Amino acid sequence: MIQQKIREKAKELLSKKEVDLIIGFGEGTLPLRATPIFIRTPEEADRLIWNSFCESNLAIYLHKFSQFKVGLIVKGCDARSVIALSLEKRFRTNPVFRIGVPCQRMVDRRKVKKAVRGEILEAYEEGDQIIVKGDGFQISLNRDDFLYHSCQVCTHRNPTHADLLVGDPFEESPLLEIPPEVREFEEMSSEERWRFFEKETSRCIRCYACREACPMCYCRECFVDSSRPKWLEKSLSPSDLQFYHIVRAYHQTGRCSGCGACERACPMEIRLTYLTRKLNQDVKELFGFETGIDPDAPPPLSTYETEDRQEFIK
Amino acid sequence: MEAHWEPKILAFLCNWCSYAGADLAGTSRIQYPPNIRVIRVPCSGRINPLFILKALQSGIDGVLVSGCHPGDCHYLSGNYIGRRKSATLKRFLEFLGIEEGRVQFSWVSAAEGGKFSQVVQEVTEDIKRLGPIKRFVKNRVQGV
Amino acid sequence: MKLKLDKNELKPFLQSLIEDYDVYAPVELKEGVSIYKKIDQPEEINLNLLNPQKPVKEVFFPQSEVMLRYERAGKRSQVALMEEVVRERVIFGARPCDIQAISVIDEVFLGKDYTDVYFLHKRKASTIIGIACNHPLSTCFCSSTGGDPFSRKGSDLFFIDLGEAYIAELLTEKGMAFRENRFFKEASSEDLTLAQQIEEKASKKTDASLPIDGIEKRLDQMMESPFWDRIHEKCIGCGICTLLCPTCHCFDIMDEDLAGKGQRVRNWDSCLSTLYSQETSGHNPRPTGRERTRQRLMHKFNYFLKNFGRIACVGCGRCILYCPVNFDIRQVIKEIQKAGDS
Repeated sequence: MIQQKIREKAKELLSKKEVDLIIGFGEGTLPLRATPIFIRTPEEADRLIWNSFCESNLAIYLHKFSQFKVGLIVKGCDARSVIALSLEKRFRTNPVFRIGVPCQRMVDRRKVKKAVRGEILEAYEEGDQIIVKGDGFQISLNRDDFLYHSCQVCTHRNPTHADLLVGDPFEESPLLEIPPEVREFEEMSSEERWRFFEKETSRCIRCYACREACPMCYCRECFVDSSRPKWLEKSLSPSDLQFYHIVRAYHQTGRCSGCGACERACPMEIRLTYLTRKLNQDVKELFGFETGIDPDAPPPLSTYETEDRQEFIK
Repeated sequence: MEAHWEPKILAFLCNWCSYAGADLAGTSRIQYPPNIRVIRVPCSGRINPLFILKALQSGIDGVLVSGCHPGDCHYLSGNYIGRRKSATLKRFLEFLGIEEGRVQFSWVSAAEGGKFSQVVQEVTEDIKRLGPIKRFVKNRVQGV
Repeated sequence: MKLKLDKNELKPFLQSLIEDYDVYAPVELKEGVSIYKKIDQPEEINLNLLNPQKPVKEVFFPQSEVMLRYERAGKRSQVALMEEVVRERVIFGARPCDIQAISVIDEVFLGKDYTDVYFLHKRKASTIIGIACNHPLSTCFCSSTGGDPFSRKGSDLFFIDLGEAYIAELLTEKGMAFRENRFFKEASSEDLTLAQQIEEKASKKTDASLPIDGIEKRLDQMMESPFWDRIHEKCIGCGICTLLCPTCHCFDIMDEDLAGKGQRVRNWDSCLSTLYSQETSGHNPRPTGRERTRQRLMHKFNYFLKNFGRIACVGCGRCILYCPVNFDIRQVIKEIQKAGDS
């Protein structure tokens, strides 16, 4: 069992002092949740868990703990974020020890919540099913019908360049080639696409959870806080909400691993991954670059080819 | 009043090529539409995508970014870097639903006064056709 | 006074309110996401979520509020203050915890030393129709913070859902103004008994077991405790807990200006952001998440208690439900009490 192997490896690493601390997942206090935990002794290793609720991208904590030798539990997407960060030279002092876990795809707890009536009091996995229990109900759901969008289309579930791989690699094929909503979106007119974006961002409450949940957002001063120049206001005016999301997404060009942590963190359920997915698609088409696959490929916006495409330039 | 609307277009011109080309158009007395406001930048690679977004949000109807031809950049590779940013930004804005044609890019050399005026002519016509910008504009002093 | 409103009269009742008042009620923006909004039609109301994401404080203290507008006219300026409330308001469908939270904010905004006119005008102009929680969530711990799913405190009218009808309790002078309302009927003794039963059942459901007693003293002793070094680790510092919290009330004031014309706006702020306490010199007395998390907990369970005599938490559970990393205040409170033991 993967969970057992993770605990064993963690115990080993901590006993041999190969790492100062291990950042992984522990049991959450709510159904369908896991929570990040930070362990420093082999005894604590038994708190580590592995299930389909381990949705966070733990690479976010690398900035906070940069002065320690960190052992990090990484899924496919998380491992790619770590490589993207190392390309940006974030790990000069201490390299990250990646404990890679091939990802079985994470369960979308909101989808599950919407499929039942009443509060969910308990949920656990049984084979390919999720058993969900509440006051006066118990239902068995097909796990594959309740996965995150970003997980359904993922083609890199196996952590690249992990220092340690726990579990057997999966076959790299997406569950969905192109989600039907994406195709539908691409067929929308320019106006319809703007209305969609306007509607989604209108719910934004500027909590910045999307930014904080993203491992690639680590600027000391975010563009949001710049006062000279002041790019945008901090109010809920629709235009400023749109500005924030356009720029936050655009700042991920060539850096986003497609983990979906931004969308999962949003309390107002704003659709965010469709933006970064487009940016990732373009970067692949234009520059042949995919985040976190090749640790030697420079970030695409920091370099160039003399023969880059320019058909759009007069 | 729509009938008498004239587009406001911001043109970011790189100092060494495009700005000089614009200057040449002027000294050669080549006419081009007066709708552009020029902002001189050292290099097209200096353009921060936030400039373009801020312009659109402020109610500018269109943005032109113009630099040196590939291989001719005064800073050797600035326009190459700018090219990648331009490509990704343009595609992203159109994907979001900002009308295609509001943000345009060109290579204009210091000797191409004629080309500069032609580019401005085309861009101005495109923006006229698109109409005043409505999407994304911040309606200032309207409340939050 | 206890009256009754049949559910099939609810829409006409609300419609009549809309004609005379600005009515604020929970509105669904998307399945599973609601906020309090001014409604134009009764159909907009959605009570599917026990509590909307954004709390009812927003009606009195909007997240973004224009305080004044100005325009330079020659050598003089014209300034228009935006504090007046044009129409009387009714807030429909607020839960006891959220309503309790308004009185927490009252302590600060309508205190003896300072009156916030923007808040005051809205407060004065509002009638609150609270709704009891027949089915509290397992994350509700109002009864640990001095509240209750059926608490009438702060409501002008209090509705209890009986299934086919609501009991409408008229509690205050503002509430009694509805006693001649044509949609209200007399409540039968059966109705009242049923309401009583529902209340008894619901009151048992919320978590009353949180060890909040004595937490102020514990925290007094813990300012430099190593406890804080660990507890903040998983917090990502986003601000969701502060923005969705019904008692949080920090704000920042900004001027939005363009060429001599502009507005002064206040926006909610979060003590969990790095910039919140950063001084002009660049010095930040709360430089890391450790200090900021400590501050949040101290403010809620110690400082506010010292200043105003009650904790700044009503047990609504939003911070637990919406935290992206499952930081659970219930767990933290228990650990604070334990840490004090050592």
